[in-house]
Amino acid sequence: MKPAPFDYVRAKSLGEALAALGDDAMPLAGGQSLLPLLGLRMASARLLVDIGHLDELRQSSATDATVTLGAAVTHAEIEDGRVPDPGHGLMRSIARKLAYRAVRNQGTIGGSVAMADPAADWPACLVALGATARIAGPDGERRVAVTDLIEDIYTTSLVPGEIIVSFDIPRLHAAAKTGTAKVMRKTGAFAMSFVVAVLHDGDQADRIVLAGAGRRAERLAETSDAVAAGMDEAALRAAVAADLAGLMDAPDDYAVRLHTAVVLRALAEARRS
Amino acid sequence: MVEHAGGWIGASLLRKEDARHLLGAGAFVADLKLRGLRDVAFVRSDVAHGVLTAVHKPDDAATRVFTAEDLAWVNVLEAGPELAAFRSGPYPPFASGKVRYVGQPVAACVAQNRAHAEDLAERVSVEIDALPAVIDCVDALAPDAARLFDGWPDNAFITSRVTEGDPASLAAAPIRLHRRLRMNRQATVSLECRGIVAHYDARLDELVIHLSTQGPHVMRRGFAMALGLPEHKIRVIAPDVGGGFGGKNRMMPEELAIAAIAMKVPYPVRWIEDRREHLIASVHAREHVYDLTISADTSGVLLGIEGDVFVDAGAYALWPSGPFMETSMAARNLPGPYRIRHLDIRTHTVATNKAPLGPYRGVGRPGACFAIERLVDEVAHALGREPIDIRRLNMVTSAELPYDTAGGLRFDTGDYPAALETAIERIGFSAVRARQKTGEPDGRVIGVGIAFYSEQSGHGMAEWTKRKSRVVPGYESARVRMLPDGSVVIHVGVQNHGQGHETSLAQIAAHELGLDPDRISIRYGDTATAPFGFGTFASRSIVFSGGAVARSCRMIVEKLRLIGAHLLQATPDAVRIEHGRVLSATGSVSFAEIAAAASIRQELLPDGVEPLLEVVSTYEPTDSRGVFSYGTHAAVVAVEPETGEVEILDYVVAEDCGTMINPLIVDGQIQGGIAQGIGTALYEEIPFSDLGQPLATTFADYMVPGASEIPAVDIAHACTPALVTEYGVKGMGEGGAIAPPAALANAIADAFRDIGVRIDETPLTPRRVSDAVAAARSAHAAQPSEAAS
Amino acid sequence: MRTITLSVNGEDLTVTVEPRESLADVLRERLDLTGTHLGCEHGVCGACTIEVDGKATRACLILAVMAEGRRITTIEGLRDDPVAAVLRRHFHEQHALQCGFCTPGMLIMARDLLNRSTPSSEKDVREGLAGQMCRCTGYAGIVRAVLAAADETTSTRSPTP
Ligand SMILES: Cc1cc2nc3c(=O)[nH]c(=O)nc-3n(C[C@H](O)[C@H](O)[C@H](O)COP(=O)(O)OP(=O)(O)OC[C@H]3O[C@@H](n4cnc5c(N)ncnc54)[C@H](O)[C@@H]3O)c2cc1C
Ligand code: FES
Ligand code: FES
Repeated sequence: MKPAPFDYVRAKSLGEALAALGDDAMPLAGGQSLLPLLGLRMASARLLVDIGHLDELRQSSATDATVTLGAAVTHAEIEDGRVPDPGHGLMRSIARKLAYRAVRNQGTIGGSVAMADPAADWPACLVALGATARIAGPDGERRVAVTDLIEDIYTTSLVPGEIIVSFDIPRLHAAAKTGTAKVMRKTGAFAMSFVVAVLHDGDQADRIVLAGAGRRAERLAETSDAVAAGMDEAALRAAVAADLAGLMDAPDDYAVRLHTAVVLRALAEARRS
Repeated sequence: MVEHAGGWIGASLLRKEDARHLLGAGAFVADLKLRGLRDVAFVRSDVAHGVLTAVHKPDDAATRVFTAEDLAWVNVLEAGPELAAFRSGPYPPFASGKVRYVGQPVAACVAQNRAHAEDLAERVSVEIDALPAVIDCVDALAPDAARLFDGWPDNAFITSRVTEGDPASLAAAPIRLHRRLRMNRQATVSLECRGIVAHYDARLDELVIHLSTQGPHVMRRGFAMALGLPEHKIRVIAPDVGGGFGGKNRMMPEELAIAAIAMKVPYPVRWIEDRREHLIASVHAREHVYDLTISADTSGVLLGIEGDVFVDAGAYALWPSGPFMETSMAARNLPGPYRIRHLDIRTHTVATNKAPLGPYRGVGRPGACFAIERLVDEVAHALGREPIDIRRLNMVTSAELPYDTAGGLRFDTGDYPAALETAIERIGFSAVRARQKTGEPDGRVIGVGIAFYSEQSGHGMAEWTKRKSRVVPGYESARVRMLPDGSVVIHVGVQNHGQGHETSLAQIAAHELGLDPDRISIRYGDTATAPFGFGTFASRSIVFSGGAVARSCRMIVEKLRLIGAHLLQATPDAVRIEHGRVLSATGSVSFAEIAAAASIRQELLPDGVEPLLEVVSTYEPTDSRGVFSYGTHAAVVAVEPETGEVEILDYVVAEDCGTMINPLIVDGQIQGGIAQGIGTALYEEIPFSDLGQPLATTFADYMVPGASEIPAVDIAHACTPALVTEYGVKGMGEGGAIAPPAALANAIADAFRDIGVRIDETPLTPRRVSDAVAAARSAHAAQPSEAAS
Repeated sequence: MRTITLSVNGEDLTVTVEPRESLADVLRERLDLTGTHLGCEHGVCGACTIEVDGKATRACLILAVMAEGRRITTIEGLRDDPVAAVLRRHFHEQHALQCGFCTPGMLIMARDLLNRSTPSSEKDVREGLAGQMCRCTGYAGIVRAVLAAADETTSTRSPTP
């Protein structure tokens, strides 16, 4: 389980990294997804451009309205509260249950989004928070909502040569309520089902976002509307089933039971919060 | 008899082997560094079943790639029991003619390190014409199923039958329940994968093999036969071994290939199995299907079991034993501890296009225990009775021991109902029943499950010859050597790989010699220095090796007594031994003085006494049919019915393994065994696609339970010594792993017994549990009155 | 190949590596520090856990070239560490190891846990060690040992900044 040969450069600046990212080169952040894939020889690259330490990607800042997290902020830094949390603790609590501490110490939020694993935690969280990615590329910078950035299983709209620099994450309204729920085969494993619920976020619509079911983390539209409309449990269940039918090719009975239960759990937590 | 010195037997002595591991200074195979070492990566079949038409070596590296052609000189070992009815296809180190499972080695690539060897492996091209894969061990027996081996009439290695009593009488039984139960395939998952480093030592003119193994001596025998070398030209060294659990006790193709290559190249070669290789192509375990009918009378008396047991044995028989032992142990253990007198079990040991099945902690019995203990609960549910009452009614009592079961096992000593009652009490059975009535605030449903296991150990010649084993591990050996300063080195033929032999065997020696364990070293794992022995498996080490150590020590003591008495000018019967000294009425002499006399000052020896304090002896229990440890596991679970998540709230074991040499180690074995049993019950599985592709090939898909998944087990001990072993010990290394699938499945079924849920397949993943509950709910809703009965 | 200098257990070691070599492989194969074990090479088992810049890290999931200029601590570097010493004693007393293969990674992670917080409950310890697989012990002795060590070291450890 050793990777095929590649070259490695540690970029000194974002510009240098962008310049190095030519053909068949890949950014390397924490390595917690890329290195296992390379080791299994399920991925290969001619060149890895190490961006994990770049100042531009390590910086975080906050205004009253928005928190900006560098793409190379690690899961552990979020867990430990070393960066501002636009979700009033939501991100910290998600980080705490993501993988294992030794993985969290190296793995980054940007790497997680770029990886676009359909069961990953940050995509669901950032979609629920309405985050926007700032992306640098050979032709300059662009901004795109995380919900649009992630297109499919392990697929983003990033083109070769582009780097996610940071995420702008709107702060939740002080009165917002949040809840998460996750079912895993065992502690630290990728989710079978993961739901982030954000309710009463000022004048924003409610967001119930599910990962682990479809091809990417997605806001459950009917479910979110049903919640906003204060519908009863039976109606909520029907709404989840309708959303799943849109999300999955042919959701089997178990998928419906599982994801419905996880949605209801996240909602219950949000209402208690 | 020697006087007891300080009560070493039964002391929870802290382990001698801890220090090096706590410093990271253990020495495992992969830690070994030999000059010029090269690494090997294997090219493996990516097709489950097919005709291998060509293997192309890259032109620039032909001498570094080895295929079946290059190893055609290696002898194929005949494997499996010495039974005419047992068929077995040849299992050469590299596939030739056909490939029969995904992961089967096709070629080996040698390079300066593993990464380069993998680069080379990618450049070897393999052509295979795929054939239909045989994936299901029941369907495999259909007349039109594809055949793994030409010339076999069907895909069975062996079809056999266990009958006892009058099974025909069962047809009239008032209660007859048919169930089909399944325990799925898993890996053994020692944390250290397999590994081997081999080189030809020109000076000694011998092949030196460092191997992560449970049995270096038996492996040397296999290497010698396969490689056509006399045994004195092979040295097998097992260094620290990072777990085995059965998975490191068979001759595997990779290891044979490395040894064979080492004979042909002028440098040491190494192969360290990686985790993907381990999950795909190491010893697989457990896969059983039970199609059984249990009969009972209306009072709940169990009458008999009929039906079929299928074992999915994978593509080949592994040397030495092959897969039939798995099947016959499963069938013979089916009656459990119950007075079930009528048995008619057809067994099918079936070849499929999967990696070969091998032993894994508990061998056969976790499946058998799961089957019988599930069936007992089903009978109870059918009769509207408490499962514990059906057990009480049918369990063999201490007054009936020794008891010959319908499966041909002879239960020796103990009090089985007492273990049941202790477990019932410790788990708070009635409190759980009360709690179930009130329901859980979080919507989960609570269940309690019970399972009894017994564990044959210390079985010697009688049992192994009955199994027609081609290697009969009927004894163990120990060489005890007292050095000139009175300290002691003991070489044994078993292989410590976590069991704490360096400590427990030293305790036995300390007890016999009247010497502090600090003055005693236990050595093992090197065929050049240890006397022949069979290794560590089948919970045999404490009985056999412990017995051999005791026996050899006693012989040393006799000589110490003789020489000591002479030095004290007393008669041997007038001296005693205490704290490393021989004492007479008037004086004493230390072991050091005696050992010095025996080793370097022979003029001090009595006439006719030979120098040296060194003895090799062997040991076998006086009755070699085996002694049985046993116990009852009880578990309380909380089940989330929608998602199917299972949380273990409480886990209790009431067990009896006879005399404990070191209770700390005993508890460690129980807790560790249960963790593995929980893995089998709830987490671990290697599913296969229809094409025979294994679907759990990394730890991202193969779930090994972690600290959050395994509860601390409440362990209650009873002690009924064995009658036929030293000190009354019984082996107990496997018991922990046997009962958890049964206990947990029963607990989950119990949670939903009101709707008649069917819990019949492990691992009980969230999906399986949720599906079972949903199926029961809808059946119940359709026919409420019937389903409730 | 590329020549790099790694700071390992307080010593600067110069070593020539391929970029693709994991830090675990370089520690083990090139620097002979074999206390760092490999149980999966894909981040799940925890046997390879070491510290990089004081942070518990999977040595199998970091390239040696990435670790240049960072402070690396392996089990071999913790011989005289006071927290590790307390953990070792409790691991020994609580029978927290059998085959010993998981032990170095387990100790590093347990020490990291104690240095970051005071786990007061069994649940805390179990979650903290969830990424450290042990196939032999069933974890009970490990959990007891870490709790005992936490108790003993509470007074001496410096609180997390
Ligand atoms: C044992 C284990 C368990 C895990 N469990 C979970 C879990 O439960 N939930 C979960 O969400 N994740 C889990 N993960 C994945 C973990 O979160 C990874 O850290 C994360 O997905 C990848 O981040 P990274 O910084 O390590 O990225 P890398 O591995 O360095 O890179 C991943 C991919 O993203 C690209 N990339 C990285 N950074 C950027 C960037 N800034 N711009 C553009 N492209 C970039 C890389 O080129 C690569 O293709 C687990 C990982 C492991 C090893
Ligand atoms: S070897 Fe690194 S986590 Fe398993
Ligand atoms: S002691 Fe063997 S893996 Fe933990």
